[in-house]
Amino acid sequence: MLTAAAACRSGQSSASKTAALTNIVVRSGGSLIASIRTEPGSFNRYVHRDAGADLVSILTHAKLVRINKATQLVEPWLADSWSASEDGRAFTLKLHPGVTFSDGQPLTADDVVFSFQAVYALGPEGPLGDALQVEGRRLEVAAVDASTVSIVFPVTYAPGVRILDNLPIYPKHRLEAALRAGKIHDAWGLSTPPSELAGLGPFVLADYVPGQRLVFDRNPRYFRKAADGTALPYLDRMTVEITPDPNTELLRLEAGQIDAMTIEVAPESYAAVKRAADAGKVKLADLGVGYNADTLWFNLKPGAFAGDPRAAWLQRDELRKAISLAVDRKIFADTVFLGAAEPVYGPETPANKQWYWGRPTAHDPAAARQLLASIGLTDRNGDGMLEDAGGRPARFTLLTQKGRPNLERSVAVIRDELKKIGVTVDVVTLEGLALIERFARTRQYEAVYFTVSKTDTDPAVNLDFWASYGGAHIWNFAQKTPATEWERRIDELIVRQIAAPDPAERKRLYDQIQEIFADHLPMVYFAAPRIFVASSVRMINVTPALLRPQLLWAPEAVAVVH
Amino acid sequence: MSRYIVRRLAFAALLVIVVSSASMILARLAPGDYVDLSLPPEASAEAKAQARARLGLDRSIGAQYLEWLGAAIRLDFGRSFLYDRPVRELIPGRAANTAVLALTALAVATLVGLPLGVVSGSRRGPLSGTIRFISLVLLSMPPLLTSLFLVFVAARTGWFPIGGIGESVLDRLHHLVVPAMAIGLPLAAVLERLQAQAMGEVIGAPFVLAALARGVTRSRVVWHSALKPSLRHVAAVYGLIVGSLLSGSFVVEVITAWPGLGSLMLDALRARDIYLVTGCAGTGALFLACGTLFSDLALGVVDPRASERVQEAA
Amino acid sequence: MSSRIGAAVLGIAIATAVAAPFLAPHAPGDHADRLLNAPPTVPHLRDDSGAWHAPFIYPWQLVNQLEQRYEQDRSKRVPLAWLSNGRLVASSDDAQAPLMLLGADSFGRDVFSRVLFGARLSLGLAAVAALGAMLLGSAIGAAAGYIGGVWDDVLMRTTDFVMVLPAIYVALALRAVLPLVLPPRTLFAMLAGIFAVVGAPFIARGVRAIVRFERRLDYASAAEALGASDARLLTRHLLPATRGFVVVQITLLVPAFIVAEATLSYVGLGFPDPIASWGTMLHDASSNLRVFADFPWLLSPAVAMFLVVFSLNLVLQQAGAPVVYNERS
Repeated sequence: MLTAAAACRSGQSSASKTAALTNIVVRSGGSLIASIRTEPGSFNRYVHRDAGADLVSILTHAKLVRINKATQLVEPWLADSWSASEDGRAFTLKLHPGVTFSDGQPLTADDVVFSFQAVYALGPEGPLGDALQVEGRRLEVAAVDASTVSIVFPVTYAPGVRILDNLPIYPKHRLEAALRAGKIHDAWGLSTPPSELAGLGPFVLADYVPGQRLVFDRNPRYFRKAADGTALPYLDRMTVEITPDPNTELLRLEAGQIDAMTIEVAPESYAAVKRAADAGKVKLADLGVGYNADTLWFNLKPGAFAGDPRAAWLQRDELRKAISLAVDRKIFADTVFLGAAEPVYGPETPANKQWYWGRPTAHDPAAARQLLASIGLTDRNGDGMLEDAGGRPARFTLLTQKGRPNLERSVAVIRDELKKIGVTVDVVTLEGLALIERFARTRQYEAVYFTVSKTDTDPAVNLDFWASYGGAHIWNFAQKTPATEWERRIDELIVRQIAAPDPAERKRLYDQIQEIFADHLPMVYFAAPRIFVASSVRMINVTPALLRPQLLWAPEAVAVVH
Repeated sequence: MSRYIVRRLAFAALLVIVVSSASMILARLAPGDYVDLSLPPEASAEAKAQARARLGLDRSIGAQYLEWLGAAIRLDFGRSFLYDRPVRELIPGRAANTAVLALTALAVATLVGLPLGVVSGSRRGPLSGTIRFISLVLLSMPPLLTSLFLVFVAARTGWFPIGGIGESVLDRLHHLVVPAMAIGLPLAAVLERLQAQAMGEVIGAPFVLAALARGVTRSRVVWHSALKPSLRHVAAVYGLIVGSLLSGSFVVEVITAWPGLGSLMLDALRARDIYLVTGCAGTGALFLACGTLFSDLALGVVDPRASERVQEAA
Repeated sequence: MSSRIGAAVLGIAIATAVAAPFLAPHAPGDHADRLLNAPPTVPHLRDDSGAWHAPFIYPWQLVNQLEQRYEQDRSKRVPLAWLSNGRLVASSDDAQAPLMLLGADSFGRDVFSRVLFGARLSLGLAAVAALGAMLLGSAIGAAAGYIGGVWDDVLMRTTDFVMVLPAIYVALALRAVLPLVLPPRTLFAMLAGIFAVVGAPFIARGVRAIVRFERRLDYASAAEALGASDARLLTRHLLPATRGFVVVQITLLVPAFIVAEATLSYVGLGFPDPIASWGTMLHDASSNLRVFADFPWLLSPAVAMFLVVFSLNLVLQQAGAPVVYNERS
């Protein structure tokens, strides 16, 4: 019998442990002002996935289990404890007793079943549908009794209940009618009066002023308590202001009009915030390197460059490996992130301690030139630039998004570094959706530099990226059969990795996968930025995490000084 | 006169319809669509297809346009993808905010710019030169820089709130200052330059010299006789200024977090929120049409010799 | 007198733009990786001990990369090299201590050189576009004001339409159908065309009002009675009356066009890096909050723009009331 290790922990949250260690007296009461850049699309997290909707969900809803974003471990939440069957496919979860929604109705196993039904009813379009499926198949969820839920996975799935961190539990009594009418999509839109919303989270929505702010009040029926028995949340009120411009946001933070940002501080703004921190006006924390780095990839769809004489070298592994050798990652980190970045060579960064496997590539332009020569690109006419056998210059177009300084600076560095080894890069910056359409739909591009991020540190959750048939296998997605031998091998390995029960075996398999990736380098990574977060000095008892919202992932534990 | 107004209103309606239609068609033609934004690039093809079907984005442009037109006649302008509510609900509040901002800026610009233009255009010397200098400084600064600078000053001095719109009426006025200045000051400079030019031309006219010869005091000549004809130039473009103000204020609205029509349209454009873009463009056209109507009527008042009334009587 | 000053400044501006490859110490794309957002290197003649030297500069040393703080190394004098490599002046040690009279931008590129090279693009584009807007707008306005009636309505409503249409979408649509990599000349012509069309309505409105007004004045009716043709009436009498208005509008349009180039580059219709343009330089400067307090040299294109607009206005627009009027009082 497997029992989740975290189930042995008591109900004490790690955040209140931090408070005990630092001897800050955490008292109830007070209010906090957070800021987001854009309004949520609706109050329905099952339908909208933007940052605003996510924040509303974090504040007003709760899940069966919670992944502690600081430690990456699973904590019991609405589910007090759980046990797994012998084959690891069936889990039985016991709900915390006496939990009620913010409108007084008790939580039962039926609500859990209902939530799954609603998510699955939204079909492939629903943002949570993929997250709650394994290999494209749904989980079987049933109510054993009023406080016990049974969840059966279609295959053995090593991450197990971890996946349940994605699902906020919605009240059946409020949304059943909408689900039956097939209108779950329209439910809980922005014009819904706050009194109709009910959740299990620490706060309830009190007011929404379109374009300006959302106001949340404490949920008196919240089920969690602090270690010393104090009712959570500590805060009486949380206001979320909508501030579209990053400069204005920072000015407000410095002036004390905002307490917490839900996004990290950009490197070029660091100095201004540091000055304010030195003056005692704000708190600035360096969380170390983050989980995600931007990446360069080529269009590896077979036949994408048919008729183009450059097809002979544009899709070759050697080209990408040469790029990885040619770009000086120190210059990259210095120019793009002002030095506040670590070099990376694959999709995982050192931040993912549990799963990181790195094979550093030294900066070696000579080796890069040799690799390019091996695919027919040499300087045939002495002008310093490389040409192919037909005398055509080694030249390709690199697309990126306009209006994101990090991306624009990155491609400028790549262009300059590649020029040094004789490759010409034409950089074209496109507007956001125009770019996405090109690489995600029409596939009319040569190379793209963009952000491809992961949602969870566990690689099993990122199956879509690793598997050749996955939609996130961005360089050649949704393949019917693997186009290359090495992609076929990764397909095999990732499936074994997901099912393997032994964590050491999983790590070994994942190391193998990352090694194959490094051998063929379908995506080239350069540097991952360090994450800086800023908050006002009144905000205490916060355990920052690397993923957004860095400061508010555990809003029930946040407090202010009195 | 009333025939004239009726004709202008008819043209205004036509303008709104044409602009809205063109916006809808252009929005569909633009690369990418809302689904590319709402679903991550790695979502499956069925997910995207399902989303497109639900939003009606899989239909042809013609079919979607005709359906929108049919609904629009019943005053149903579609549903915004981004905010998941009817466009009809979203726009009035934001348009009102922009109208407040624009009219305040316009008032500031007119009350400051026009008189200064009269002064600088009716004399030579250091005062005229100084006014001209300040106007040119304000004119040559890009709106992005002006708003950023004013917000920066507001933050450093603490005299004004840093962005946002405020709650009570008084608080709202307090919040209005920075964005209204950001739009109003450069606009005042524009009006000042136009008025100075017009004033300078009128001042040289024979009737002015005649009045001076008759012994009318200088200030009376400037402010009574010469002023009205000199307003012609400003009156001609006033409507355009009003119209462009209401849709062109988005830079200021974004930086000062003033939730207006301009920033709504920008968000809608970025997200390819077709119905919302169409609604915003149509509202902008409505404002422009009203603005130009007002301006042409003002032109008629300012120079009766050239008014439509005369033409109709003739 | 003031118009002569204006003409002189404009002349200098145009001459420096044309001679940019000679006058600028660096190419627009040259960048110093260790000197991001570095302050200006001011040429000195006397060192700290009071001794005189040929013009030299002190190099900047990076103290803190993340905060982008620099310290001047006053122990090292780096003399300037004149007339070398086809450039008027440069630092003798360009790799370690480049001559940056207006500091460096966020890529470490010399702002002074980029302002000079950017003048070619921004001024050229603005001038061509303003000329185009003037011709187009005057033609439309004159036709509307002269012919009147239905044509007047049609033309004015068309200009209204152009004004209100979200130009961004037109630009996006254009971007989608054009090839990804556009030769700069095509781009220049296209942008000039777009700006001319977008700027014409303002001119058209004013010209129309003036032509309509002047048409009914006695001298115009007299000319007509004497048998003057439409063309003669327009060109000899009516259009010259619009001159004052049009020249002021041009002064207003030029800075708007310079900035609009940066806005259009958002949808991909701008000039690619590292081609310098004042609009893009200002846009990059505005994206960083620190610019006012810490990196004010990044705002030099705004000063350059002001100088151009100011001198343009000096040349084109009379300074206050005509002399005759003033003498009377």
